Amino acid sequence: MAVEEHLSELLPAYALDILDESEARTVSSHLAGCSGCRAELHAYRQVMEDIPLAMAQADPPVYLKEKILKQAASSEKSPVAQPSKNWWHDLKSRLLPAAPLLGMVSLVLIILLGASNLFLWQRLNQVQTDHNRLATVPLMGTDLIPGATGMLVISADGEHGTLVVDGLPVLDPSQQYQLWLIKDGQRTSGGVFSVDEEGYGSLWISSVEPLASYQGVGITIEPSGGSPAPTGERVLGGEL
Amino acid sequence: MSLDTALGQLVDDKKLNDETLLRLIAQAQESALGELYDRYSRLVYSMALNSVDDPALAEEITQDVFLRIWNKATTYQVEQGKVITWIASITRYRSIDMLRRLKVRPEGNRAVWAEEDDEPFESIDPIDIEEEVQLNQRSDNIRKAVAALPKDQRQALTLAFFNGYTHAEIAQILNEPLGTIKTRIRLAMQKLRQTLRY
Repeated sequence: MAVEEHLSELLPAYALDILDESEARTVSSHLAGCSGCRAELHAYRQVMEDIPLAMAQADPPVYLKEKILKQAASSEKSPVAQPSKNWWHDLKSRLLPAAPLLGMVSLVLIILLGASNLFLWQRLNQVQTDHNRLATVPLMGTDLIPGATGMLVISADGEHGTLVVDGLPVLDPSQQYQLWLIKDGQRTSGGVFSVDEEGYGSLWISSVEPLASYQGVGITIEPSGGSPAPTGERVLGGEL
Repeated sequence: MSLDTALGQLVDDKKLNDETLLRLIAQAQESALGELYDRYSRLVYSMALNSVDDPALAEEITQDVFLRIWNKATTYQVEQGKVITWIASITRYRSIDMLRRLKVRPEGNRAVWAEEDDEPFESIDPIDIEEEVQLNQRSDNIRKAVAALPKDQRQALTLAFFNGYTHAEIAQILNEPLGTIKTRIRLAMQKLRQTLRY
C-alpha cells in the first residue's frame, strides 16, 4: 500500500478510542491489511499504557478493601429467586379440591426426601473431607534438583488447579518443564511451563478428568512444547 | 495444611506474581484478591478520581473494577499484555461508562497530572525487582514527556484519555474548532511517542 494511503493521522485517536463509529470502522478495516499501521498503532498503545503512570495519585479510603472483599465473598452465592405471590395463589386454588389425596402423596414424598437428604448429606461430608485433604499438595525436588520446591493448589470442586514452583533452573530455550498427572501408572500431560531467572514459575492446570482423581504428579524436562510421554528424569514430584 | 492457610502463607510472603494471583482469583481465593487490591487499588482509584472528579464515584468505580476482576479473572490472557495494563484498561472504560451514564461533564481543569518531583508508582509486583525498576523509569519518562507538552495539548489529551470524549465533544467543551482539537490530540500523542521512543 502506498504511503499516502496510510491512516497515520487517525491512529492516535484510534488508540485513544475517541473516533466516531464510521472513522473507527475505516481504520479497523485498513489495519487488517496494513502491517505498517499496525506497528504504528502498537507504539501508540504503548504510550496509552504509560499515561496512567504520569497521573496524580490518591489513596482510596481505608475501609474500601474490606468492603470489596466482603462483596466478593457474598457474590459467590447464587441469587435465590422469590416465587411470585400471584403464581402461588393461582396454584393453590387449582389444587385445593384434591387436598386429601395430595396430603397422602405429600407424606410419602416427605419421607422419601428425608431419606434421600440424609444420604446426600453423608456423601457431601465425605466429598468435602476428601477435598480438604487434596486442596494443597507440596512438591519436593528429586536428587537432580534437591533445592526445588513447589505447590499444587486444587480448586474447591477438584476440577482445576494451579502449580507454583520455585528454585528450578532456567532451561535452554529448546526445553521446557512439563507437568505429568499420574493415575494407575499412566501419565497425562498437565501442561508445559518455563521459569524466570529466579527459578519461579506457575501453570494453570485444566485437565480432562478432575485433578482430584489423580494419584500423583511429576515434573520432567522435555523439548519445548512438551512430549506425548515423559522422556526426561523427574525433577519435582508429589502424591495427591 | 488447609487451602486457606497454604495460600495465605504464599500471599503474605509476596511470593506470587500478578498472573498467579489472577489464576487463584479465578479459583475464588479471596486472599489473592486482597493482595491484588494492595498492589493496584491506588492505580485504580487514582484513574477513576482523575476521570470523574468525585471521590464517592471513584470509590464506586474502584469497587466495580475489583469485583469485575473477581468475576472475570478467567478472561485475562497473558498474550494481551501485563496485568497492570489489563486493570488500567478496565478502569478507564468503567470510568468513561460512569461519566456517560450519569452525564457528568468535568471541565478538564482538574490537576490530573503528577508533578515531576512526586513519588513514582510504588512497587506493584513485588517479586519482580527488574519490573519495578523498569516501571519507575517509565513513570519518570512519561511524567517528563507530559510536562513538556504545551498546555492546550495537555488539556485536550486529558479530556480524551481520562474522560473518553470524542473530538467533537472536546471541541464543544473547549469552544475551539474541530480541526484544532484533532491536531492538538494528534500532536500530543506523537510527541509522547517520540519522547518515549516507541
